[in-house]
Amino acid sequence: MSSALLPPFPEPGFSFENVERNVSLVKKGFKPPKFTSTGTTVAAAIFDGGIIIGTDKRASAGTIVANKNTNKIHKISNNIAFGGAGTAADCDQMEKMVRAHVELHRLNSGKQVPVCVALTKITQHLFRYQGHIQCALIVGGVDKFGYHLHHVYPHGSSSEVLFEAMGSGSLAAISHLELNYKQNMNLDEAKLLIRNAILAGVENDLASGNGIDLCIITPSGMEHLVDYEIPVAFV
Amino acid sequence: MSIESYNGGAVMAMAGKECLAVVCDKRLGARLTTIGMNHSKIYEINPYLYVCLPGLATDALTVYQRLRFRVNMYELKESRKISPQVLCSMLSNLLYEHRFGNYFIGGVVAGLDPATGKTYLYAMDCLGAITIGTEGFVTGGHCEEQLYGTCEALYRPDLGPEELLEVASQAFLSACDRDAGSGWGAFVYIVTKNKVELKSLKARMD
Amino acid sequence: MALQELLQLEKHASFGLKSVDDVELSEEIEELNSEKLTQLPITPFTMNKNVQLRDSNTGRHIHINMEKGTTTLAFKYQGGVVIAVDSRATGGDFIFSGSVKKIIEINKYLLGTMAGGAADCSYWHRSLTVRCRMYELRNKERISVAAASKLLANILYNYKGMGLSMGTMIIGWDKRGPGLYYVDDSGSRYSGDLFSAGSGSPFAFGVVDTHWKYDMTDEEAYELGRRAVYQATYRDAASGGIVRVYGMKPTGWVKISEQDCKVLHYKYADEKMV
Repeated sequence: MSSALLPPFPEPGFSFENVERNVSLVKKGFKPPKFTSTGTTVAAAIFDGGIIIGTDKRASAGTIVANKNTNKIHKISNNIAFGGAGTAADCDQMEKMVRAHVELHRLNSGKQVPVCVALTKITQHLFRYQGHIQCALIVGGVDKFGYHLHHVYPHGSSSEVLFEAMGSGSLAAISHLELNYKQNMNLDEAKLLIRNAILAGVENDLASGNGIDLCIITPSGMEHLVDYEIPVAFV
Repeated sequence: MSIESYNGGAVMAMAGKECLAVVCDKRLGARLTTIGMNHSKIYEINPYLYVCLPGLATDALTVYQRLRFRVNMYELKESRKISPQVLCSMLSNLLYEHRFGNYFIGGVVAGLDPATGKTYLYAMDCLGAITIGTEGFVTGGHCEEQLYGTCEALYRPDLGPEELLEVASQAFLSACDRDAGSGWGAFVYIVTKNKVELKSLKARMD
Repeated sequence: MALQELLQLEKHASFGLKSVDDVELSEEIEELNSEKLTQLPITPFTMNKNVQLRDSNTGRHIHINMEKGTTTLAFKYQGGVVIAVDSRATGGDFIFSGSVKKIIEINKYLLGTMAGGAADCSYWHRSLTVRCRMYELRNKERISVAAASKLLANILYNYKGMGLSMGTMIIGWDKRGPGLYYVDDSGSRYSGDLFSAGSGSPFAFGVVDTHWKYDMTDEEAYELGRRAVYQATYRDAASGGIVRVYGMKPTGWVKISEQDCKVLHYKYADEKMV
């Protein structure tokens, strides 16, 4: 059905038509391109009433700040969200894909979608591409089985955690969480813990900064606190 | 040297009060040699909507043609003009489809709603990661770093069309004067609710 | 190296010393360099010329590629020598400066031009200035252009393969009349009527080769140099800024003009319209 006047519609999914060309360009000595990276500090924890996820707001491309107002908390549904670190385009597209998948699942089943549905979709997709889709995520959510927090690595491995930090600022953030995390924290304690963990990342990592976003998921719903705090000294 | 800077070139879009400035330089290079001095990087989707594709010129042309095809199909199917938001998603998806074996271009989408005067600015990297231009300007191309600097210094919110032309041109030319790969004049589109003006800026030719 | 064997020279022989690989010798060299400030310096460490720097993480060779983003031009005509250069300094594609002085005034009768590593050029020309002055004091006469350019060429030959980056012209006027030599980091030194160095040189050569005549008047020659460098700045991204023109006359060098490329461009554009 296709001709010069009516070209074929592109197939859905990835196109690999430029791969060989780009590989040969790199072989010829051209530097591979810089992708926008989230260069993130993302931290999350389970508290008494649900899940809390926090991120910074900076996206970087090499040494320049590509975006000062990045949203790194990706909302999947009313009860599931993930904080993403890695290549910005991969995290954004992952959100789009999983949100569509979960919404279709909700419409088909007519029930609230459990966290494991989103998690399985993410890990299977990442494993299929063998680490070439570069995103490291903390998936959190609340469903009828309880509160869930999982970390996911780019190759598709995942495990359930009580608290976790990811991204280039994670070293500072995780040490803060390790030291100060308690079980059965209330919401205010949890907010302070995550805020301080992100701040530690912002202070110690040049690729993190420009403010803090928080996302709180409880059985009664999701609260997304954009610009929860813009640290004056460390923007 | 990166293949994205093989041809040189820079673009920028700036929003004013119910108006929009879209700027690109005129240089087409082959490494250090300038082979063209009238090469626009701005593509008109419709008089209120522009897409700029800085980077490798061959990829820019391919991506523009593929994008145009999708825009035409969308407008035929939906029987309405494409909006800036949809165009941005469309370009982002087109670029992300080539996640492995990417095109060596950035993308800037700039649009104005003729009914309300609201401006829309988006920028993306070569994989389609979208940055929304909440600061009032977006940049792309070879001297992105310099453009960030000059725009942040010179930009003020709610500029009228004449002032916007002045500020955008000054920011753009200053940035290009610090970059060997961009310059040789500039094109500026000044878009308002009822008029589009294309200006050609004189610049240093070295 | 047949000649080397014939002369019974060591591989790294320099300045009558046996070999710089010798430990005692390297101490001796250090002493020589610190005491005899007017002599050509010898590398104060034993360096295998084949050793390359490596990246500590990847183990790959670090390739230091000094940009030759420049246009420098010098040519002879009946009235002497014209020297014309641009003034742009780039690092990668970033323009560090648009007003660099790429003509170095060695003395009243000697000029040097700068292409390649800016530090290399300015340091070795400064060093050449000292040596030329010392020659003058010792011999009670000015150094010839041939001798001055050879001093520089000898230094560069001694540092050959160690990463210096220079492509320079030495221009002067001596007993033999106008002198023009090209010296570069490989140690080569040529005398000639027309030289151009840097990334913009093909464009400058194009203009000069087309319009050059021996019988040009001074004004014609200066304008040709100016026009050639301007055309190079127009086409070459790494050249630009100010076009500086100097002339070499029997009475020494004269500064002819320093004009911004932008002014020149719109002047020439207006002339084309007429």
